[in-house]
Amino acid sequence: MSSTTTAPERVEAPQKGFAGQSIPRKEDRRLVQGQGVYADDVRRHEMGYVHFVRSPYAHAAITSIDVSKAAALEGVYGTLIGEEVAALTDPFFQLSVPPGSEIKDYALAVGKVRFVGDTVAAVVARTRELARDAAELVEVEYEPLPVVIDPQRALDDGAAVLHEDAGSNLVWEGTFDWGDFDAALAEADRVVRIDRLHFDRFSSTPLETSGAVVEYDRGTGQWTLHANNQFPGFAIIMMGPALRAGMDKLRFVSQDIGGGFGNKICTHPQLVALCLLARKLNRPVQWTEWRTDQHTGNSHGNERVFLDVEVPVKADGTMLGFRCKAIDDAGAYSRYEPLGCIIWAQVTPGLYRWRNVHIDFTQVVTNKSPCGPNRGYSRMQHLWFTERLIDIVAHELELDPVEIRKRNYIRAEEMPYETPNGCVYDSGDYARCLDIALGLVGYDGLEERRKEAESRGKLLGVGIGSTLDSGTNNFGQSQLLNPDLQFSGNNEVATVKLDIFGEVVVTLGTTPQGQSHETTASQVVADLLGVTPDDVQVRAGHDSYWNTHAGFSGTYASQFAVTGLGAVKGATEMLADQIRRLAAVILGADGPEGIELDGGFAKRVDNPEAALPFMACGAIINANNAGLPPELDDVTLNCRYVYRPPFQVPDTERKFGNLTLTYAMQIHVCVLEVDPETGVYEILDYAAVDDCGRRIHPQIVEGQVHGATAHGLGAAMFESFPYDEEGTPLAANFYEYHVPHALDMPPLKTDAIESPSPFTSLGTKGMGEGGGASIHAVCAALQDALRAAGNAIVTDSHNPYHRVWELLENPEASRALVRVEAS
Amino acid sequence: MRVAGTRTYAAPREQVWQVLNDPAEMAGLMPGVESFEIEDETHWKAKVKVPLGLGSMRMSINFEQTESQPPEHARLHAKGNGVGAIMSMETAFHLSEEAGGTGMQWEADVRIFGQVASMGQRVIQPIVNQQVQNVLNAIDERVSATQAEGGEAAPETGSSAAEEGVHPGSPEAYSKEPEGPTQSA
Repeated sequence: MSSTTTAPERVEAPQKGFAGQSIPRKEDRRLVQGQGVYADDVRRHEMGYVHFVRSPYAHAAITSIDVSKAAALEGVYGTLIGEEVAALTDPFFQLSVPPGSEIKDYALAVGKVRFVGDTVAAVVARTRELARDAAELVEVEYEPLPVVIDPQRALDDGAAVLHEDAGSNLVWEGTFDWGDFDAALAEADRVVRIDRLHFDRFSSTPLETSGAVVEYDRGTGQWTLHANNQFPGFAIIMMGPALRAGMDKLRFVSQDIGGGFGNKICTHPQLVALCLLARKLNRPVQWTEWRTDQHTGNSHGNERVFLDVEVPVKADGTMLGFRCKAIDDAGAYSRYEPLGCIIWAQVTPGLYRWRNVHIDFTQVVTNKSPCGPNRGYSRMQHLWFTERLIDIVAHELELDPVEIRKRNYIRAEEMPYETPNGCVYDSGDYARCLDIALGLVGYDGLEERRKEAESRGKLLGVGIGSTLDSGTNNFGQSQLLNPDLQFSGNNEVATVKLDIFGEVVVTLGTTPQGQSHETTASQVVADLLGVTPDDVQVRAGHDSYWNTHAGFSGTYASQFAVTGLGAVKGATEMLADQIRRLAAVILGADGPEGIELDGGFAKRVDNPEAALPFMACGAIINANNAGLPPELDDVTLNCRYVYRPPFQVPDTERKFGNLTLTYAMQIHVCVLEVDPETGVYEILDYAAVDDCGRRIHPQIVEGQVHGATAHGLGAAMFESFPYDEEGTPLAANFYEYHVPHALDMPPLKTDAIESPSPFTSLGTKGMGEGGGASIHAVCAALQDALRAAGNAIVTDSHNPYHRVWELLENPEASRALVRVEAS
Repeated sequence: MRVAGTRTYAAPREQVWQVLNDPAEMAGLMPGVESFEIEDETHWKAKVKVPLGLGSMRMSINFEQTESQPPEHARLHAKGNGVGAIMSMETAFHLSEEAGGTGMQWEADVRIFGQVASMGQRVIQPIVNQQVQNVLNAIDERVSATQAEGGEAAPETGSSAAEEGVHPGSPEAYSKEPEGPTQSA
């Protein structure tokens, strides 16, 4: 166990076996000295600053745009409006089937605006401030239209339609049916029915907002984008066809990125506008998103409503599955959607042995900020739902939340476990992790603490949040939404080379945003080549021109430890083999197997005195290669490897197949105390136990656990993006949108076990997203605390103090949503 | 946001109508108006400084009289633009003859859009209240001044408690009075 309250542990580098050790981070030297290079640090001669004019209306026709006053201002270089965008580009490719596929989405609003913050025009000027002032002179006339705010009303007759081309607010709908739910109902002793559960809208707020410097080369017709987009592979797929340009004409470059969390994936509309401006004005253009624009116009996390939920339960607490309707609110445009309609299916039964699942899933557009990937994307919503089911069932049937979990958890001996929809959970021991977490908070002594709290007039509650972090997507899952899509599998690339002076140089296809890829890659390389991480130079950042870019390159969806490091391992093994082959020839060994790599030397196994330093190997191949025998013709000491996970295309008829390669797991336990007079609550004790398979760098994993915990606590307690009935966002800045500070964090106790993945080359699992366990744990703890004061049911993911006060004042309103019936 | 109310003036209906339909006079009496321009009989423009929390916001407002039935009824549409805000207002009043004076029923539907709407939700409602009270006060003052010019008595029913200088967020700004505005979101 480690704890945030103790002094930082001293980190000492070991001499061998670097993977698994918390060595000093390679990135820290430049980052703590302020020498990182972020998108906003990039400067170009005579570049212009871009400010976007954004819609104040949630839904309105644009009747006129007059940029003349802005354009006339000295120092203003130019403007761009929707009509130009519509003439110069094609709408972005849509992933859905009709009607969602008919949505026309451009870089700027064309003809109408669909949410507050929709980009209407862009102004470029000599300074950032001038661009902003000039943007105020752009005169836009709007004709306001009726708005759609409530996703449950979006498909009503007479509801305003956001996208006339689609003719409906429906993006995608479909039925998922696995097992035999009716048989499960017949088999059950009780059925718990829940009318409505609601997962709230929130998002991530990276320290660095989105931004880019974009240059256009008129000679080659090529754009260079110094952008902090975290998934250039996807951005290029979206942007190339829209700009009517070859994909090679879009060069993405990034070094340091200040947090991503998914909402730096869908910046392609702004980047296309920048590309058009750079070409139109023949000048580099720079854009850094304002914080308010990040809150109101960047992608939000999906809001989801679960309706008419039915859970068949046996007398002993065995749950047989669930049936429900789910409505997902995509916001105004589908920019990564409707992938949220399938990604939850990676974790269909949560951590449980439920075999019978039926979901009618609907996704709609509303006049709110578009949704997209956000840490825990789509699975977090679903896992919150499965955790609510287990706790509401336990609560209503008076079963112990620990016992009912253990009864329903997939067991360690059942791993690898195939879920009802064909996903394969690779490894794990959920019950053991739960016991560790309970031990960390002193679960056995909690009833005494509850009594002590009662004596002070307080309500103590304890709650468990068990969650999965599925990583390494099979993009074939997109075909379950639209069988015509030509995406499947996944890939990532790395190159590893030995240079003239014996330097080991690694290039990654990933775009790290704080995940320490340079450090962990160096650990893997060092172990395979017999050198130290200090000897391994990992290039900072990403450049799609480095030939270290594959179709799905980027950093997203909990996959680096599998795909990124898998590529690093593959390339390093290729290089090691080439070094051994070269050394075998030079040193006269019988073959490459007669050579071992150790301490920066290639040595004969039978005679370690016969050793060739890496410097000599690099020099021979790169600069002194005359007279080498033909069997070394293919030895370049510059090795590129593309890692491809072993996936099949899913069965589109049954919506069945393995959708992700690895399943990291976290179990959180939260102990909190509620003031029944006010609804204010405080977290007293908190434990998080993580199992992400083999950990390359435990301290980095621990940092991700802390971050995901804070993120979830924010969503549970403070962070929400509400809209008023006109569609005005009410949390447009940090004054209204409170992200947990260090002082808001509870004392955090952590521990970990390692269940190596049998499916990955290093036994690792991706784990960066976390799965929202703290949201689940807080909801469970609140419900436990409120048992003694009205017995309310927690039906929302977001429970600020005033919501808890409502539950205390009017518990009947929530209780009316839940019923237990004999089967 | 909708606000509505009733008011009684101790003056003949034609006299009240005259006051209400003299935009230049009204503009001169209303606080916060920095300039006023009459384009034609039904179109006016004003530049107004609106208090907003700790600061204030300048708005250019275009008024259009969309209905006029002297001396009973008039309707006005106003659209304002400021940095980070768009204001849209529909307002109407009906005058009726009552014993010894004139009764006025009025209503206004005020909508604010843009960043100011996102950030200023807590202060917008009291500001609208205050501005409405300011307008009503101005009418009172003008009617009584007209009465005085005509050598008649001052209005017998009172004005508003939301006097100039009361902070819109202060409790006084919310104080109910018989003829104050009523609201519905």
